[in-house]
Amino acid sequence: MSIVKGIIGAIIGYVVGAALVTAIRAATGADPWDLEVATMGAYLPMLGGWLLGVGVWGYWARPWFGKDAKTYTFTGWKRFFNFDTDHKVIGIQYLVTFLFIFFLAGLFAMIMRYELMNPGLDVLTASSYNGFMSLHGTMMVFVAVAATIGAFGNYVVPLMIGADDMAFPKLNALSYWIVPMVVVFLTASFLLGGYDTGWTGYAPLSVMTRTGALFFNLAFVTLGLSSIVGAINIVTTVATMRAPGLSWFRLPIFVWAIYISSWMVLIFTQFIALAMMMVALDRTVGTVFFDAGEGGAPLLYQHLFWFYSHPAVYIMILPGFGIMLEVLAHFSRKPLFAYKYAVGGMLTIAFMSAIVWAHHMFTSGMPQVLLRPFMASTELISIPTGLIMLSAIGTIWQGRLRLRVPMLFALGLLFNFLFGGITGVFLADVPADIQLQDTYFVVAHFHYVILGGGIFALFAGIYYWFPKMTGRTMNELLGKVHFWWMMIGFNLTFMPMFWLGLNGMNRRIADYVPSLGGTNRMISIAGFLLGTSFVVFLWNFIYSWWRGPVAPANPWGATTLEWQVSSPPPHENFDTQPVIVGDPYGYGDPSVRHTVLEPTP
Amino acid sequence: MADSTRNTKIDLIVVAVLWIVATAITYWWLSTTSFQPMGASTSAEISDDSFDLLLKLSVPVTTFVLIVIGYSVIRFRAAPDDTDDSAPVRSNRLFVGLWIAITAVLAVYVIINPGFTGLAALADGRDAEMTIEVTAQQWNWTYRYVEEDLEIARAEELVLPMDVPIVFVITSKDVIHSFWIPAFRIKMDAVPGLESRTYTTATELGDFGGDDGFRVQCAELCGTGHSNMSTTVSVLSQADFDAWVEFEKSEGEHG
Repeated sequence: MSIVKGIIGAIIGYVVGAALVTAIRAATGADPWDLEVATMGAYLPMLGGWLLGVGVWGYWARPWFGKDAKTYTFTGWKRFFNFDTDHKVIGIQYLVTFLFIFFLAGLFAMIMRYELMNPGLDVLTASSYNGFMSLHGTMMVFVAVAATIGAFGNYVVPLMIGADDMAFPKLNALSYWIVPMVVVFLTASFLLGGYDTGWTGYAPLSVMTRTGALFFNLAFVTLGLSSIVGAINIVTTVATMRAPGLSWFRLPIFVWAIYISSWMVLIFTQFIALAMMMVALDRTVGTVFFDAGEGGAPLLYQHLFWFYSHPAVYIMILPGFGIMLEVLAHFSRKPLFAYKYAVGGMLTIAFMSAIVWAHHMFTSGMPQVLLRPFMASTELISIPTGLIMLSAIGTIWQGRLRLRVPMLFALGLLFNFLFGGITGVFLADVPADIQLQDTYFVVAHFHYVILGGGIFALFAGIYYWFPKMTGRTMNELLGKVHFWWMMIGFNLTFMPMFWLGLNGMNRRIADYVPSLGGTNRMISIAGFLLGTSFVVFLWNFIYSWWRGPVAPANPWGATTLEWQVSSPPPHENFDTQPVIVGDPYGYGDPSVRHTVLEPTP
Repeated sequence: MADSTRNTKIDLIVVAVLWIVATAITYWWLSTTSFQPMGASTSAEISDDSFDLLLKLSVPVTTFVLIVIGYSVIRFRAAPDDTDDSAPVRSNRLFVGLWIAITAVLAVYVIINPGFTGLAALADGRDAEMTIEVTAQQWNWTYRYVEEDLEIARAEELVLPMDVPIVFVITSKDVIHSFWIPAFRIKMDAVPGLESRTYTTATELGDFGGDDGFRVQCAELCGTGHSNMSTTVSVLSQADFDAWVEFEKSEGEHG
């Protein structure tokens, strides 16, 4: 019902906004109807109408006008379709929503790989290839930015710090319920013929191309809004709601990772919204920010875009590092190695991420004087990144490794990220990058980081926290089958792409020189292997949630707080306020305890 | 205690031996293999040298981490019925110190070499004897040979003389494109309102039929025709090039 009200609100908002703009245009003598201008005018009323309808009015805003707020009465599965403020419900909402986007975007990748099996155009046109490619990139970036923080940042962080919920539960629900509008804008873009600028949306192409591009701009701005609202909440929660005794250096490393990435979201996301809005204004009201013929500056877009989008890479991967280190420690039954260096590494990455953006622009024609400093800063960021690797391999060294499914994904991440990180050193080197920039070498590199790193972490997190979130257990054997299938498919798909880029295959092309046909065909087949691995996961995920064996409170024997309450936890999380008395990784040392809370049987 | 010390020693020695062996095998493999396609210019040599040096430096780092992961998974895997914890080692000053020192030295080293040295080498080649203005538009290339006063609009081929230092002055009429010749390892975006330069000297005769790296390929997404926005490249001797220029000019007069 809430969703229906939301849709009605959105439609009313769009009609009112668009009508107002059209009326003004008619009154000033301009051609009254223009879809893009009307949509720009309708953007805020539409978003507002949706949010008010979906629950903001009923559960939040009514008291502002002297009315009683509606009482929230939903239980069971209906909570997931309503304006629920429980962080545990919101975490699951994020997880399922972004898994859906992930699989849809993965399907688009399959379509692209099918087209790329042979040189020449087979099933797609050059135009539709660009459309699928752009949507694949955009949706996957959205998943990488928001899935882990949204799902586990919401579900696990309050539990890990001994809080009963987030600092601002209503704001938390708001940040989730903005996301469906992102999906609406992306769908509208698709229906209007898509856009052919890739997720990077470089101006002036993005200003000149078809109408779908405007909806891409609005989708990105909307996701940015959701991210910022969510980040405010997480930063506040971790800063103010930690249980007594939970000092900063007793925080589980995953909480640190989410906390630091949330700060980065808070600081940097406004710049992507700015870049997107400037393109949207160039398209609709004739500002000429990026029109060189009228005094605009095309390169300005790239500076703004990468000033967000490079930190965004770390926003995507830091939570992944957090999950990896968390899992490695618990499944090696060993304290996290060099904990403070890992935290210091993450903090240093966060600071340095602000001064490396122009390494995406070495061949852009920007002033030559910028090459050396950005090359230097980019090579130097490998040092704090190395600290994460140090912590990881130090943790597994002489541990007692339990190779359960979450552990396999964490080890897989470590393996994959090694190649992603090392090839980053090549790309940061200007003389080498001149050949590699905009080729499949870059495609391989960032898939090793984002898919091999971030998405492997997402799956490690799903297998690790599934018992906590659903109260049920996933099938171990199917999990292992999924891991090996995905791991082999992933490496067979992306490892040859390094070679492909070096040998002259540039990015974002539907057609290529015939000599690269054999390698591309092999990559496509490996890609289908990777794609089908998720069938195993989906079966396991859905069936286990429905019929899986009931999970105990602490199936992994882990020390952190979320495992000391029942699976799933009660509504208020803890019956009594937990007190923290030691660090979270007291393995092998009976004198170190994390909490005095007795595990629920 | 004595027992665990001995184990640590054995673990370290085995890992060190495996690391050395893996590194040696990888170096041997790299010495028999080339990942690089044909390079046919001065800039190609500089770019490839940078890449090869980085590849050599990355080998011991990569093999070290892989060997530690592999060894740990096999050697430290717990039995299914194991319920014990590991020894609570939280850090190791020597290992952490070495790690930070080595990664820092490597990072600073690659900034200087091949980074700064490569850029300096590229800058050395900037006394061009020939200027070619490259104008990109959706979805074709126009080449203007300034000294020869010859313009080839919507070109199908870029013809260059061998051993002549060339500067390409690159711009665009509409959106951003990128001027890339894979066999020369040069790439520079064509940006509306900007004139960007890139320098190279062809060092081999050749054409697209011989090696498909001899092509100009748009490397920045520029819309529907992006995939096929390319022309072939042909490198001729100076005499053949002069003849080609004469021919094209007379074609222009008569056509």
